[in-house]
Amino acid sequence: MMTRCLKLSRVAFVAGAIAMVSAPELEAQSVFNAAGLGVPSEALDGRSRAMGSMGIGLPGGAFMPTDPAALGRLSVATGVVANQPSWVDYSAAGGPSGSFQGNRFPLMGLAYPVFDGMMSFQVGSFLDQNYTDSRTGTVDLSTETVATNDEFIQDGSVSNLNLGYAQRLGTDVSVGVTVGRYAGSIVRTLTRTFGDEIAADVNSYVESGRWAYSGFHLTTGVSATLTDRYHVAASVQIPSNLDAEAQDDTDGADRTFDLPVQYRAGVSATFGPVLLGASAVLADWSETQADLTGSVQAGSANGYGLGVEFARARLWGRDAPLRFGYRRSTLPFAFDADEVTERIFSGGVGLALNRTNDITLAAVDLAVERGRRWAGGISENFWRGTISFQAAGF
Amino acid sequence: MSDLESKARWLRFAVSTAMLCTVVAACDEELPLGVVDTPLPAGPITVEVEIPWSDFASDLEVFGGYGSPEDLGVGFVASQFAGTLDARTLIRYTGYPSAVTVRDTTGAQRPDSTITFVGGRLVAFFDTLASTNVGPVTLGLGRLQQEWDPTTASWTAAIDTINDLRNWTEAGAGPVVVVDTAVWDPASGDSVVFVLDSADVAAWADTLDLSRGARIESFDAGARLQISQTRLRLDVRPSSNPDTIAELSVNPRSTTFIYAPFPDPSPDGVRIGGAPSWRTVLDVAIPAQITGPPEFCAEVGCPFEIEAGQVSFAALKLTSRTTDAAFQPTDTVRLDVRPVFDRSAMPKSPLGGSLVGAALGRAVAPDAFGSNPGVVIEIPFTSFARDLLRGEDANGNEPPGTLALLSVFEPLSIAFASFEGPGSAFEPVLRLVLTIGPDMELP
Repeated sequence: MMTRCLKLSRVAFVAGAIAMVSAPELEAQSVFNAAGLGVPSEALDGRSRAMGSMGIGLPGGAFMPTDPAALGRLSVATGVVANQPSWVDYSAAGGPSGSFQGNRFPLMGLAYPVFDGMMSFQVGSFLDQNYTDSRTGTVDLSTETVATNDEFIQDGSVSNLNLGYAQRLGTDVSVGVTVGRYAGSIVRTLTRTFGDEIAADVNSYVESGRWAYSGFHLTTGVSATLTDRYHVAASVQIPSNLDAEAQDDTDGADRTFDLPVQYRAGVSATFGPVLLGASAVLADWSETQADLTGSVQAGSANGYGLGVEFARARLWGRDAPLRFGYRRSTLPFAFDADEVTERIFSGGVGLALNRTNDITLAAVDLAVERGRRWAGGISENFWRGTISFQAAGF
Repeated sequence: MSDLESKARWLRFAVSTAMLCTVVAACDEELPLGVVDTPLPAGPITVEVEIPWSDFASDLEVFGGYGSPEDLGVGFVASQFAGTLDARTLIRYTGYPSAVTVRDTTGAQRPDSTITFVGGRLVAFFDTLASTNVGPVTLGLGRLQQEWDPTTASWTAAIDTINDLRNWTEAGAGPVVVVDTAVWDPASGDSVVFVLDSADVAAWADTLDLSRGARIESFDAGARLQISQTRLRLDVRPSSNPDTIAELSVNPRSTTFIYAPFPDPSPDGVRIGGAPSWRTVLDVAIPAQITGPPEFCAEVGCPFEIEAGQVSFAALKLTSRTTDAAFQPTDTVRLDVRPVFDRSAMPKSPLGGSLVGAALGRAVAPDAFGSNPGVVIEIPFTSFARDLLRGEDANGNEPPGTLALLSVFEPLSIAFASFEGPGSAFEPVLRLVLTIGPDMELP
């Protein structure tokens, strides 16, 4: 039985490694992608999503770049991959409404024991920037009036590649540090097409630009278990500027964006089979305002999350903890002075597929979120699922 | 297998399936549409400008001789049409059938290869719309007397192939042995019948005889008739049932027409079409910089450097003029424009693909070359203009700088289209529709 479990874990581990070969795809998640640098896209696993966590403060080993010290609580080589589909309905007061869906892989990573600690390589999402828009008009030519349609597509995202190391200090304290590089690119394309009033052989007008993102960040964190009941953790992420370098034939200019320091803290308490968690994040993006053009407003992206986990739930004879959570936060960029607020109710379940000697060799965490984002007359409701698969092997 | 193992296996299957289904269900990626207040980049402006001939084109030249009237598969007959044009149709038929199926004396049907041709009829069908007559026209049918070549025959030459030029004994495919005359009245139908006797039928029976052929001509002046098709209807007497006359149909192998006078190349204009066809060739150089007119400069500033991607539409604007009366179109003219790969090899340079973007070319009503001249026609070549400005085509090759204006099918008709040429008050101009926008920037 033990041999079969290890085989399964190795297969999952290899699968995770293969998935990491390609960078994570950040796809459309929100209409607010169109504001500023987009919508922050946190690299969280299914457990954190289900418990409304800001990505820090939950006991046990974890893989998230937001909680570097949690890496130190992993005991064996581990891989993780998370998939996150979403379905969004949006509407604007006096304007359009509609729906769209997206899918992304916000977190992929591998960890391996090194020097009594744990080293990791992670690929995570950071900012989601995809959106499209169009406008119609007419052009008066000497022979006729021609209808025009301008379609704008912004296809891009910022992700980060992280190299982390975490070390346990004694049995109750863990510290970690993650060095990350921002990556990704953005392509902005405006295409004007003409109606069929004009004669054949009309070519569309296309103006496009592509920029590659670069930059670095350093994240340090610490977590501690107090009296076997309480677990606390904190981290701070210090970024460099985010540089956007024009590529190929792009006529647009290179740009640099100021990124904020992000502070995170979390606490959890265990009462028998019940785990309560709370976490918060503080990030002031207002300095980025000076780097933006137009009417977009940059502000604070602060938030908090609350969650509960019932550990005694079982499914088919296996541990299957039930989780529920709530989180509320603000988004850093808004179309105007109205701040964008996000509120999410969540639930989920974990499934330990294989355990041996208190080590989880394969586990799946599922989360379902029902959320709402709004600012001024614009709002969107969304369903979002998160499935993270974690596998370990010796 | 224990119950626990069975459950574990089922659990792994269920989890794997759920993950796969979730991923697949969300793989149909959709971008969020912008909503009110969504920031869009500044919109481009679309302006147009007309560039005079001298600033974009040069070396206009008209070439003729493309294709053969035989390619049309129709015939024309005319006598002093518009005071000048004579045209005659020449036809060579395929071999006669060698057998006929008849009912014998027992009442059974069987093939009979012992047949005797006793006479027949040549039936000519006319295109009533393309023909100019409104009243009856007297036509004559004759048998050609000398060897001739359907592909190269002209008013003066019976054969005009390499190293073999033989003229008609009498210009106009003559002389002929007169077979019959008939009158076609469009009010009474679209066809006319010439009666053949057995000698006429026998004269066209030998497929090795290169003089084999029929000539149809018009005896009444002032009309130009288009023959859309002809048929031979042969009367045969089968040996198995000599009291019966059967009819066999014979299709033409070649139909062509000859005409005179042959029009001279246009000295000062654009000519397109005809049979053989005319092409007009011109060199084109899109100016990289525009300095006027004032209203254009007021919008975009001058001098303005054109970029290939800014050209939304480029077209040659031609003004129609009246074609020689004898060759005025009676049906829609379809124009095409193609790049000429090697101007120095004209008239034999290969051409590139059509630039018009419409399968049947740019259609122009026939009266633009007759009763209603001065019609402005645009022949678009946007992709060609972009390639010229870019200095390379889609394959990275240097684009040719020469265009050929031609009929979308060559030949399409005896008639051709005429346009004003350089130096005229209505000389060709280049119309450009430009879309100009700011550089794309990050928000």
